[in-house]
Amino acid sequence: MSVQFERRGEGVLVTLDANEVELLRAVPSELKTLLAGPSEKDDPVYNRLFPSAYLDPTEESAEREWQELVHPELLRERLAALETVTSSLDRAGTKRGRAEVELAPEEVDAWLHVLNDARLALGTRLGITEEPEAAEIDPSDPDAAAHAMYNWLTWLENDLVETLLG
Amino acid sequence: MTTAPLEVEQPEVDEVVGTDRPWLVIVWNDPVNLMSYVVYVFQKLFGYSREKATRLMLQVHHEGKAAVSEGTREKAESDVARLHAHGLWATMEHPS
Repeated sequence: MSVQFERRGEGVLVTLDANEVELLRAVPSELKTLLAGPSEKDDPVYNRLFPSAYLDPTEESAEREWQELVHPELLRERLAALETVTSSLDRAGTKRGRAEVELAPEEVDAWLHVLNDARLALGTRLGITEEPEAAEIDPSDPDAAAHAMYNWLTWLENDLVETLLG
Repeated sequence: MTTAPLEVEQPEVDEVVGTDRPWLVIVWNDPVNLMSYVVYVFQKLFGYSREKATRLMLQVHHEGKAAVSEGTREKAESDVARLHAHGLWATMEHPS
């Protein structure tokens, strides 16, 4: 079995296996570390999550003012979404051996944001391109686990979006 | 493979002078964001129909970028921030 999403009014019922709960739990904590700040100047992962608004170099001061205004809010929203996902996983009950949790609409938003941010971060680090991912992951690749995680998150996010688009 | 940004036909803008020209909010193609997710975000943020959101997503995908909204500098800055909050790669520009 794998993760299932079902519409419940404006919310979504999520059903998943215990090992999937554990995989998902790791996502907010890893993102939290990443959001604490770039590990180096011009960190591509951090820059992907927080891009520039202006490409035009003559708008440098507008860019700086915009960053000062917007960045703290974007960061706060991202951190809040991590907390929301963690607390929704905390309240998951068990039914017929699987974990189950009903997400309110704002929790669904948080799940989408976190799944997407995790894919942006992993995808940037792994240098993902638009070429389809190899069907078989080379187990000798040191990033094999990260590729498997990326593919799983992609599948999960697509399933959640399709559920919302109906 | 991310397609290289191509020249994109910009939305028709009335011939107006100077600062009255609207700012354009541009969304760029990237290899990670899902097509379905991008449609969902355009509908949610801008209230576009499924058809319009899909057309803009396909323009981003095939042409490398698309202008998704326009307005004053303040509106464009706000739209770019909302798009970034959703993980889309957006910038703003003032056509000259």
